[in-house]
Amino acid sequence: MRRVYLDHNASTPVHPEVLTAMLPYFSEQYGNPSSIHGFGREARDAVEAAREEIARFLGVAKEEFVFTSGGTESDNLAIKGVAHAHGKGHIITSQVEHHAVLRTCEALERAGFTVTYLPVDGYGMVDPDQLRRAIQPDTILVTIMCANSEVGTIMPVGEIGRIAREHRIPFHTDGVQAFGKIPFNVHDLGVSLLSCSSHKIYGPKGLGGLYIRKGTRMVSIQHGGDHERRRRAGTENVPGIVGFAKAVALRARDMEAEAARVRGLRDRLWEGVRAKVAEVRLNGHPTERLPGTLNLSFRGVEAESLILALDLKGIGASAGSACTSGSLEPSYVLTAMGVPTDWALGALRCSLGRSTSAEDIEWVLEVLPAAVERIRAMSPAAVTA
Amino acid sequence: MYSETLLEHFRAPRNAGMMRNADAAGESQDGSCGDLARFHLRVLDGRVVEARFQTYGCGPSIAASSLATELVQGRTVEELTELTPAAVEAALGGLPDDRRHAASLVVDALRAAAAHYRAVRTGEVSRV
Repeated sequence: MRRVYLDHNASTPVHPEVLTAMLPYFSEQYGNPSSIHGFGREARDAVEAAREEIARFLGVAKEEFVFTSGGTESDNLAIKGVAHAHGKGHIITSQVEHHAVLRTCEALERAGFTVTYLPVDGYGMVDPDQLRRAIQPDTILVTIMCANSEVGTIMPVGEIGRIAREHRIPFHTDGVQAFGKIPFNVHDLGVSLLSCSSHKIYGPKGLGGLYIRKGTRMVSIQHGGDHERRRRAGTENVPGIVGFAKAVALRARDMEAEAARVRGLRDRLWEGVRAKVAEVRLNGHPTERLPGTLNLSFRGVEAESLILALDLKGIGASAGSACTSGSLEPSYVLTAMGVPTDWALGALRCSLGRSTSAEDIEWVLEVLPAAVERIRAMSPAAVTA
Repeated sequence: MYSETLLEHFRAPRNAGMMRNADAAGESQDGSCGDLARFHLRVLDGRVVEARFQTYGCGPSIAASSLATELVQGRTVEELTELTPAAVEAALGGLPDDRRHAASLVVDALRAAAAHYRAVRTGEVSRV
C-alpha cells in the first residue's frame, strides 16, 4: 500500500545526512563534554561547533543559544525563567499558543502572576493594537508564537516585537513551527527569547534550543551542574546536538527552494479538494501561512472518522494538534478563531514536507474526497440535507 | 488502539443508510462530543428483521452502529432494551477509554427505537 505522511507539523523523519552526522557520537566520541580529558574535549568541540552553526543561522552570538530537550522545555525555561527572575508581574500571551506556553502561563497564574490571553481574528492572528492596550505597568513578558501549528498562520511578530521593545518588555516567541521553515532574523523582529525544536526540521527528537538575548533578565529553572553557562543543568545530549546542528545547516541550504515547492503542492491539494468536495473551508490565513500547512474543515464530517478512513488507506494526517487528538472537543485554536463548532469538529490538518511528492498529493486527491463522501453518506444529516 | 473487528466494521460498514417505511426509528446524541446515531428498524412478529443506521461521529461510533445492526437481527423488541454498552463493547473487541461513548450511544439509540416501536403499537404515535 502506498503510504503518504502528511503530518510534518507533528514530527519529521530524520534526514539521512543528520543520522550519519550523529552516529559517531553514540559509540566513538562518547565523552562527557564537561570532562577535561581528550574524550571530553572531543565532545565539547562537537557541542560548541553545533552551537556556532545554529547561532550563525539565527544571526546571534553563540553564547546566546542554549540547548534544551525540546520545544516544550524551551518554552518553560523562557517563560518561567523570566517570571521567576521578576517574582511577580503580568504576562501577555495569546489564546492560540501551544499547550507548552498556555499551561506554563496557567501554572504561573496559580503562583500569583497575572496573565492576559489575547484573542485572535478569524485567520488566527493577534491584533498588535490589542497587545498595545493590554500592556500594564507591571507587564514583565510578552510571549506570542511565530506561527501556529494547527492552521499555520504566521503572527505579525515584527510588530509585536516593536511594541514590546518600545515598552522595554522582553518578547519571547515560540518558534517551533516557524524555525527552519521561513526566514527570520531575531534582531529585526525584536525577539529577546526564541524557542526552537529539532524534530520539526528533520533532526532527532528530544532536542531543542532557546535563544536568549544577552542582557535578558532571567533565572534557570533546572538546577544542577554548570552546563550551558548555568542556564540549563544536565549533561548535553551530544549526538542530538550534533544532529540538530546538521539539520539546521541543511535547512539553511534547502529552506527557500523547499518552501516554494511545498507551497505549490499544498496549494494544488487545496485547489483539488475544493474542486471535488462541497462544503469545505480553509482554516488559517490565505497568504501569511507556513508553506506546508493546510487546515481544512469538512462540514458534517467528524474529523476522527476521516483520519481513520485516511489511515486505512495509508495516509497519515491529523485533527488539529497531535497533543489533543485524544480529546473529543473542537480545537481550541479553531474555537478562538470563531470557527463554528460543526465546522471545527470536521477539521483536518495536512502538513507537507520534504518527502511529499506530486504523486502523493494526487493520491490524496483520489482518496480524500471519496472518504468525505462515504462518511457524509452514513451521517444522519444525509437525510435532511 | 482499535481492534480488528472495529476497524473491519469501519472499513466496510453493514446496513448504513436510511430505510423507507420503517416500523420504528430512534436516535441518541452524546452530550459531550456531539456524536449522533439513528437506527431504523423493520419488525415482523415482534422480531427485528432488518436494522439500518445513520451515524455522525468518530470511527468507533460508526463501527459500533454497524455492529449493532447485526447484533439486533432476529431479536425481539423487548430484547433490544436489554442490550448493554458492555455487550456492544465486548462484541467490538474493546474500546479505548476515551471512546467508550460509542457503545452507550448505540445502546441508547436502540432503546429509543424500541420505545418508539411500543408507542406506535399502542397508537400513541404514528410510524416513521
